[in-house]
Amino acid sequence: MTAFLINLATLAAISGILASTLNFIVGYAGIFSVAHAVFFGLGAYGGAQVALLLVPNPFLACLVAAVIAGGLSLCLALPALRVRGEYFVAASLGLQMVAATLFAELKPLTGGIGGLVGIPRPELFGMVVPVLPLALVALALILWATARLQRGAFGRTLQSIRDADTAAEALGKNVNAAKTLAVAFACAGAGIAGALYALHLSFINVESFTLDQSIQIMAMVIIGGAGTLWGPLVGAVMLLSLPAVISFIPFIPPTEVGAVQQIIYGSAMTLLMIFRPAGLLGDMSKGKSTS
Amino acid sequence: MPGPMIGRRTALAASLALPFIRPAFAQQAEPYVMGSLFPMSGPNAEFGEAFTRGAQVAIAHINADNMLRRPVRLQSEDSQALPQPSVIGMNKLINIDRASWVLSSWTATAKAIAPIGDRAKTIMVNGGGVGPDLSGLSPYFWNVIALAHLEVRAIVPFLVNQRNVKRVALIYVDDPLGDAILGQLREQLPLHGATLVGSYSVPRAAQQFGSVVARVRQSRPDAIYIASFGAQQAQIVKGLRDNGVTQIICSFSGFGLDGIRTLPEAEGALFTTQKLDFASSDPITKRFADDFQARFGQAPVTYHANYYNAAYLFGLLARQVEQAGGEVNGETMRAAMLATRKFNLVGGEGEFDELGNMLTQLQVNEIRGQRVIAVG
Repeated sequence: MTAFLINLATLAAISGILASTLNFIVGYAGIFSVAHAVFFGLGAYGGAQVALLLVPNPFLACLVAAVIAGGLSLCLALPALRVRGEYFVAASLGLQMVAATLFAELKPLTGGIGGLVGIPRPELFGMVVPVLPLALVALALILWATARLQRGAFGRTLQSIRDADTAAEALGKNVNAAKTLAVAFACAGAGIAGALYALHLSFINVESFTLDQSIQIMAMVIIGGAGTLWGPLVGAVMLLSLPAVISFIPFIPPTEVGAVQQIIYGSAMTLLMIFRPAGLLGDMSKGKSTS
Repeated sequence: MPGPMIGRRTALAASLALPFIRPAFAQQAEPYVMGSLFPMSGPNAEFGEAFTRGAQVAIAHINADNMLRRPVRLQSEDSQALPQPSVIGMNKLINIDRASWVLSSWTATAKAIAPIGDRAKTIMVNGGGVGPDLSGLSPYFWNVIALAHLEVRAIVPFLVNQRNVKRVALIYVDDPLGDAILGQLREQLPLHGATLVGSYSVPRAAQQFGSVVARVRQSRPDAIYIASFGAQQAQIVKGLRDNGVTQIICSFSGFGLDGIRTLPEAEGALFTTQKLDFASSDPITKRFADDFQARFGQAPVTYHANYYNAAYLFGLLARQVEQAGGEVNGETMRAAMLATRKFNLVGGEGEFDELGNMLTQLQVNEIRGQRVIAVG
């Protein structure tokens, strides 16, 4: 039981990092990206290559992953500076599709669809270390940084951009710089999550970094409560643990296990959104239909 | 007077406790748990259902014959053919259900669970994925299906000699399976006096093949080999026929599913599988074919037999370990497999190499009138 829970907690912590970092640009800056899995993937491939080619040091893997994902976040930031709202969703969708294709085709770096196997487990001072404490530390640091940034001038600038970017610019805020920095922070965080994911699974391939994954991360943010500090984390834990809990239901016939689980899972999500439209920890005055 | 009322919180607590009731029952009967990690939802669920049915018949036979001192129970988990759900499912099977034998399929699932099974010394048996990269993933990862490179070697001489094929075009997904088939066609066709006139890569998620079909037609092939998997296979077949391509369609064992067999456009398609004659008098094969037909109301196909073999092998090895007075676990069963190597399974004798790959004879099948007929 312990190993099962540790594995689930590790994946929940990694998903928590992903949801929290996406929340930083969706919830605070109003940049609705459906390409977060791209930066998760960049970090995963970067971290995996460090472990495979150099040394399975988790800190070095996370650093390289953050630099790669944060650096390439300009690919997302550039369209974010030019378009907004549903137009940006379409732009990020395009980025997601291009990146997934590149992940499948750049075989020397990514292993193609077959992926990278045999990624060594993380080691510190010659000893294998579990990913869970590393993921928890990374998650805590990202939540702390998010809280600090959110409460400071930078956070207020982002929220003003989210609510009315033209007004923010008119008041002298550097909208372009703020958006670029926010995207870089979020993508670097996603990269760290990717490196930890690669080290934990010992195997990665493009199927973990597709549009489905991006939508899953977005769902974690929305279900937990966009624009709140703890909401995305709660959403991540819930979306990850709910299928695992459902899998304990004993009376489902083996051939129907997938269908029944998906129906229960989908129904639970729908009911949640009906009764908690602003998310589990979101502002209850928001999200409800006014018609 | 109103009866006792169950509050919402009580009901919630009871429902939360429900999952933990089962282990108490399980401890009473103490069955061996065999896990399965198949895609049971999504576009590949048809495969998962087929694989599960084969395993169910095998477990019924093991239990009915009292082959083991304890009964065997199948615990199914939905892998969704994705790495993360596969890892969660595998951890549950090993750490909660205490499975020492896990049936798996799909390359992503196999590669994601192999390190976990390796560390836990849990036997993982694949009967569906045919990518050559599935060989040697772990000493505990075995294959009871011929891998794709062997299937190409079987169909090329048949195409050239029996169907007078000289020019072959390949439509493939650029993954380890597709790469292996491309490499084998490049090597094998010239050896038999034929040529590969074109190879066309399609993305795994593609559903429209108009432009690819146009290029296939331009290459004027005598036969088109399809190296794809899941629902996409049927879409490619349909795309070819809808666009007027009448040449021979051929493929590997991935075609051995009802979704292809019952597709009108797949009439005449050729595909390879391991040699299986469900009408044979071999008692294991006959019993499997009869019981499968009786239980599910359909004739078995190769995938059903593969996962029957994958599950039945557990019974054979566990019995061997029990008779030797050992504890049934991954280590002891691997030692038993390496010591025995040859087993009587559906289709005849199966022999394993030291990597855990089962070596079998192959046959070429043709789809005729929605039936699969062995033709070579």
